[in-house]
Amino acid sequence: MTDFMQLLLSGVAMGAIYAMAALGFTLLWQAAGTINFAQGEFVMLPAFAMLIGMSMGLPLWASFIVAVALSILVLGAAFKKWIVDPMRGSGVVSVVVATLGLSIGLKSFVKAGYSAEPHPFPSIFGDEVFKLAGVTISYSDVGALVFAGLMVVGLQMFLNKTITGRAMQAVAQNTFSAEALGINVKRMIFYTFAINAILVSVTALLITPTYLAKFDMGDNIGLKAFFAAIIGGFNNSRGALLGGILVGVLENLAGAYLTPAYKDGVALVLFLAVILVKPDGLLGTPQERKV
Amino acid sequence: MSILSVRDIKKIYGAIQAVGGVSFDVEPGEILGVIGPNGSGKTTLFNSILGQIKPDAGKVEFEGKDISGGSPLELSRLGVGRTFQNLQVFGKLSLRDNLILAAQEHTGTFWGRMFASPDNGFADRAQEMLDLFRLNHVADLPAGSLSYGQQKLVDIAMAFMPKPRLVLLDEPCAGVNPSLVDGLRELLVELNKKQGGSFIVIEHNMDFIMKLCHRVVCMVEGKVLAVGKPEEIQGNRAVLEAYLGN
Repeated sequence: MTDFMQLLLSGVAMGAIYAMAALGFTLLWQAAGTINFAQGEFVMLPAFAMLIGMSMGLPLWASFIVAVALSILVLGAAFKKWIVDPMRGSGVVSVVVATLGLSIGLKSFVKAGYSAEPHPFPSIFGDEVFKLAGVTISYSDVGALVFAGLMVVGLQMFLNKTITGRAMQAVAQNTFSAEALGINVKRMIFYTFAINAILVSVTALLITPTYLAKFDMGDNIGLKAFFAAIIGGFNNSRGALLGGILVGVLENLAGAYLTPAYKDGVALVLFLAVILVKPDGLLGTPQERKV
Repeated sequence: MSILSVRDIKKIYGAIQAVGGVSFDVEPGEILGVIGPNGSGKTTLFNSILGQIKPDAGKVEFEGKDISGGSPLELSRLGVGRTFQNLQVFGKLSLRDNLILAAQEHTGTFWGRMFASPDNGFADRAQEMLDLFRLNHVADLPAGSLSYGQQKLVDIAMAFMPKPRLVLLDEPCAGVNPSLVDGLRELLVELNKKQGGSFIVIEHNMDFIMKLCHRVVCMVEGKVLAVGKPEEIQGNRAVLEAYLGN
């Protein structure tokens, strides 16, 4: 039982991290009709930005702040302006192909320009563990869970409780009408890209100690986040949270009780099962768009 | 001075001239009706005035300021509102939130929008509109769950939330239960008196338009066929022929 609880907790912590990357998927889809298949590489880049910052003598927290700023600039503003905006008129498929190309390009860029080797990455919460009711719990798991939880809850509050958040929801639901009401649609879409840039930077901070900083670390993360977004419902940001946690928990349990070899296949099996039974995802609704 | 001056607006799609040189003025406080058979260019004219499509030629002035080519965002912030033929409410948000959202972008600063109270001080104004449109009993339901007629009322109420000086209403009666049409007309008359703005109304319901409007423009094949008071338009032989044939 204690093993199960331990696996459950670390699964929820990992799932909450997947959920943040998945949330980025759903936000970009809702607000800008963009499916970003380079999302995994968007997690990898801030990890390397933080590594470079630390190699220059900056502490982890300062490197993280620099990485967030760079991410908003490069993965938010530049990505929107130079890749998504020119492609949007050509439909979703063009954006998908462009982001797939971007994914390959970014991996090659980091592999050739920095290193092909995996690099250890410090955990912001340390490596210590503690025991609670016989269950061994790492500070890193608790920290990741709390941090990711705060991010997701904070984002929900921002979207539902602030004027800008509701304007973003309006843009996601009906761009034409939102513009006629005086909402600055372009700015709201940029905010979505900026939020995604922050989400991937936090994901990088929390997940890289486990995955290690490597040019292809985004393959797995991007794929699992995409599956999590579909499982929860691509048009519902709460669905991304549910999908992420389901993937995190089930892959942890499968890795322990079946075989570690099947661990990475769990997200795919769950994804197939969900789209066969409920094609809109567990919390998704047909033909709705909402951030 | 006219609140809106439209001069020689033209819009061509391939070989089809959707709007072929339309000119008219709207006076302060005036309700101007725009009628015409289907395909006469009424909605294209609306979209051209409001920057939702770019006209090929022509000039639009609002309160003496050239707004030709202005974006819907700019026009909205200048005080020009509109409704659409099809429903444009935000279905997942409550009716009250729809109303607040319709006004909130017209005020405040970046930080205010991030951290101010979600109603941004528009709760009273939203309540005023709920009372006026008799939608109090459904105020906190998701707008998408309301009947078509109720959503149409929400659409109209949203256009009036920021107290615009000019509102363009595109077929406000479309899809509304005929028994509610008179009530809608009375509402618009009341809003016109209370807020003092000018309205331009596209509508196929002749009874509605003739009772509501101070003047009527009749368009046929992208051009203005006649302009005049409702009784003049009703007696105009060319208008009758355009609708009924020879």
